[in-house]
Amino acid sequence: MTDHAHYRSAIMADPHDADPELLAHRESCAECRAFTEQLLRFEARLERALLVDISLKTAVLPFARLAEATPGPRRWMAMAASLLLALVITAGVWLTLPQRGLAADVVAHMAGEPDAWRVTDVLVPEAELNAVLEQSKLRLKPDAGVVSYASSCDFRGHKVPHLVVQTQSGPVTVMVLVHEAVRNPKQFDEQGYRGTIVPVPGHGSIAVLMRDLSPGSGDVERIAARVEDSIVWTR
Amino acid sequence: MNDDAGGNQRRAWFQALCQSLRPDLLRFAFWLSRDRALAEDVVQESMLRAWKAQESLLDETAAKPWLLTIIRREYARTFERKRFPTVDVDELIAKEEPMLAAAEEQDISDVRAALMKLPDEYREPLILQVLMGYSTAQIARELDLSGPAVLTRLFRARRQLRAACGEDLRLDPQE
Repeated sequence: MTDHAHYRSAIMADPHDADPELLAHRESCAECRAFTEQLLRFEARLERALLVDISLKTAVLPFARLAEATPGPRRWMAMAASLLLALVITAGVWLTLPQRGLAADVVAHMAGEPDAWRVTDVLVPEAELNAVLEQSKLRLKPDAGVVSYASSCDFRGHKVPHLVVQTQSGPVTVMVLVHEAVRNPKQFDEQGYRGTIVPVPGHGSIAVLMRDLSPGSGDVERIAARVEDSIVWTR
Repeated sequence: MNDDAGGNQRRAWFQALCQSLRPDLLRFAFWLSRDRALAEDVVQESMLRAWKAQESLLDETAAKPWLLTIIRREYARTFERKRFPTVDVDELIAKEEPMLAAAEEQDISDVRAALMKLPDEYREPLILQVLMGYSTAQIARELDLSGPAVLTRLFRARRQLRAACGEDLRLDPQE
């Protein structure tokens, strides 16, 4: 039997604790429900507070020192010099860019994929789709819908599946981000895209987004839940 | 030649990995040290150490926790080396004011100021949980604590933060 103090102590330690006894107490106690809502509002403030703006004044990596630190013959270092130069230039360009959060990076990725937003009933070839999915150890249930686009995209240093599913609400983009763990669902509405990033325990997260003008863009959470449900993890 | 190509590939991969994780790593180091310049130094040194010790990363999907552990150790080493004088939190807050200010969001600035004042032993598990998404078990492993000890610290961390921000702290609604 959970009492108020036990319940409140537990969720103060972990506001997202899904212990059935805690959930049962919350259901039965209006005061603790109100306390939880207040705590979750504070938690959202805390999350925003921790996201301090990190502008980059220093180089991404101490490249010269990195080369020195690399074990191996000296000619290896000499041959790497041109690569290092290229990397330093790349880093310089990168340093001029503002730092973005995960949602902003997902939205930015969309800008390079204009074909993904075509409304179509043409399925991507099965072999092509499977090749993309297999890289991330997943497959889709047969009732997942019309997948009109499948690509293995570079995203934050990893190859990630980028799919477009045609729904009644219009094309929906799905990015399976197995390397990006998030603790809670995060909704975003940026640069004409509305979407959500939902955690998938043990498999990172999934980003689902639609164009803001799509008729069903307000349903993006519901669509995200359906997408998550249609994924079968193979590892 | 193949070795060279493999090495270049590995370096490019490492570069991309560091680029993608750097904002998170810097934020983690900042909240650990509460000092932006120190955080940048710690992250730079940590990346160098990570590059040298790349063989110890057995699972590339675990790169982020691997780097966070390296950062924690590097920060501890920095502290041992430099033997920093006692920290005046108000001075730290004043020094990092541009970073802590949240435009048009006074309530966020308030939370940041309260975070700066949290003792290290409460702030660190809270950062791991909220910013890095660690579970209680993962925090316990990282900090070498028991699960209940982690929960106690997280509870105290939130209680102090909420008290500083004027939130309801009552454990019993009848209080």
